Amino acid sequence: MEEILIVKDLKKTFKLTAKQRKINKTNDLYKIAVDGLSFKAYKGEIYGLLGPNGAGKTTTLRIISTLIKADSGDVFVDGIDIAKNPDMVRQKIGFLTSELKLEDFFTPNYLYDYFSALHKIEKTLSEQRKNYLFKKFGIEDFKEVKIGDLSTGMKQKVSLVISIVHDPEIIIFDEPTNGLDVITAKSVTDFLIELKKEGKTIILSTHIFSLVEKLCDRVGIIFDGRMIKDDSLTNLTKEKSLEDVFFELYDERIGEKYE
Amino acid sequence: MSNIWTIVKKELKRFFTDPRMIIGLVLPGVLIFVIYNLMGNISMEKIAPTITDFTVYVENEPTEFQSFLNKDGWNINKNKENLSKDKIIDKIKDKEADLYIIYEEDFYQKMLAYDIDTGKMAPNIEIYYNSTSESSNLFYSYYLEILNQYESNISNKFDINRDLDIKYDVAKKEDTTIQIISMMLPFLLMAFLFSGAMGVCSESVAGEKERGTIATLLITPTKRSHIAIGKILSLGITSLVSALVSFLGLMLSLPKLMGTDFSFQAYGLSTILLMLVLIVMTVLLFTTLLTIVSTFAKSVKEATSYAIPLMMIVLLVGITNFMSTTATSNKLLYIIPIYNIVQCLIGVFSITIDPVSFLICITSNIVYIGLGVFLLTKMFNNERVIFNR
Repeated sequence: MEEILIVKDLKKTFKLTAKQRKINKTNDLYKIAVDGLSFKAYKGEIYGLLGPNGAGKTTTLRIISTLIKADSGDVFVDGIDIAKNPDMVRQKIGFLTSELKLEDFFTPNYLYDYFSALHKIEKTLSEQRKNYLFKKFGIEDFKEVKIGDLSTGMKQKVSLVISIVHDPEIIIFDEPTNGLDVITAKSVTDFLIELKKEGKTIILSTHIFSLVEKLCDRVGIIFDGRMIKDDSLTNLTKEKSLEDVFFELYDERIGEKYE
Repeated sequence: MSNIWTIVKKELKRFFTDPRMIIGLVLPGVLIFVIYNLMGNISMEKIAPTITDFTVYVENEPTEFQSFLNKDGWNINKNKENLSKDKIIDKIKDKEADLYIIYEEDFYQKMLAYDIDTGKMAPNIEIYYNSTSESSNLFYSYYLEILNQYESNISNKFDINRDLDIKYDVAKKEDTTIQIISMMLPFLLMAFLFSGAMGVCSESVAGEKERGTIATLLITPTKRSHIAIGKILSLGITSLVSALVSFLGLMLSLPKLMGTDFSFQAYGLSTILLMLVLIVMTVLLFTTLLTIVSTFAKSVKEATSYAIPLMMIVLLVGITNFMSTTATSNKLLYIIPIYNIVQCLIGVFSITIDPVSFLICITSNIVYIGLGVFLLTKMFNNERVIFNR
């Protein structure tokens, strides 16, 4: 299998502000968000990152997508070092997170064309892909309505489509079904399966065990910025459900019984 | 480079198709035009009020002073009614009459015979008027001025500019305009250009950070320097439109505000081109500075607060040169940002600009803008700045 994403010994520390220290009830000046994390993703698979809040999932995904820089460690996307060629990496990845917002003033139609132009997609190709994606997600009906006037589900659909205007090889989704109604969430999961069939690699971060069980080929379980388990879903869930495996590891790690 | 244009187009679409934004851009200019015109109308009316009819009571008026109550265009009605002093004063109180002038008996003779060295009191004139009546007030001022002039004339041994029909100030209308413009406009222009830029720049990057839309842009393969240049260019164009509307409003209202002796004919095409270059350069410098401030801020509110000290500096530099009609000849001073622009504006408006000083100013500002773009690119690459960590 072809390795399309390699993450090696990734480390990231954030300096805490006085306000953050107060909220976290700590005197530490720094917080280790990612602590020597390593994993690989293979072409055409869906890799799930599972972990509690603050485990370092989002930070890891932000580093891979070049939004922030790692303190140390290496990340290679399709053989390209993200530290050396971030612009080239951005052409190969699509990133969707609830943090990425669209400007309320513009319509889905305009924003699609705008981001397509920034990715330098040829006009005819861009139009074809727009028609396909807009039809697939039912955006046609509200493509000329301003983002500010759309519902949360509609906005999420537009964000999803815009994150893949350039038909990227690797698609990174941070909590892709958060805040979506069941019908929209279903259309998103179905689309992820479709993308996989097209040979795309998907890196998924989520809290939802059923979503991981339904979609992922392999799973990485992260606690406190460290990779605790990295295996195929089949190997992880031989005798137990993913949820049981997760909480067993959690208990081992924290030393407390989850109730 | 095409990404710069894509960003510029998108930003301009936001500014020029949103009715609220358009109102924000155009309204200051329209308000300046309307307010200054109103101010002009009011001051003109104050200078030349339309009151022409006056009612005056005079007692013991010397024959030699009778001409004082003749003024072209004014209809002065000398009331001959035989009324008591109190009744006449009551009439002035009730605004039925304007002035009550009482000369001492044989005033003229007493005046001629008066010798200050005798220590006696000089002959007196009593003038009753009503300061709350516009006509009474106006006529009182007029009569007082005539008497004062007369009083100084009889003791003076020579006259200056005696003939009121001769225009002794031989300055050309254009030169008067140049003087007024070079004194006032550099400061006003700096204020307009800065406030125009501040209105759009404070919201730009800080607003995008606040709304979470900047990350969506940073995830695209667009170079950070292209984002910085795209932002500065689009904000610069928008600020320029806003500033030019304000400037146009001011220029159109100046003739009204300054009176009829105002003419723009003194400025040729080359002067106008130099002005335009300076205005564009100033807007780009302000936009760069304000975009840096906006990028550093965590919110629009914070960006506006950070921009205020910058505004104080700009206004302070502008105001220290307010009413100055000559630009500095020290070429080294043309390196100092903002100050160099004010000096060049004074030079251009007074048509005394030194080409070398102008070039130093433009070159140094291009360098400052370049440094600003470099810093902005660094800031866009800094996650602590972009993600407010």
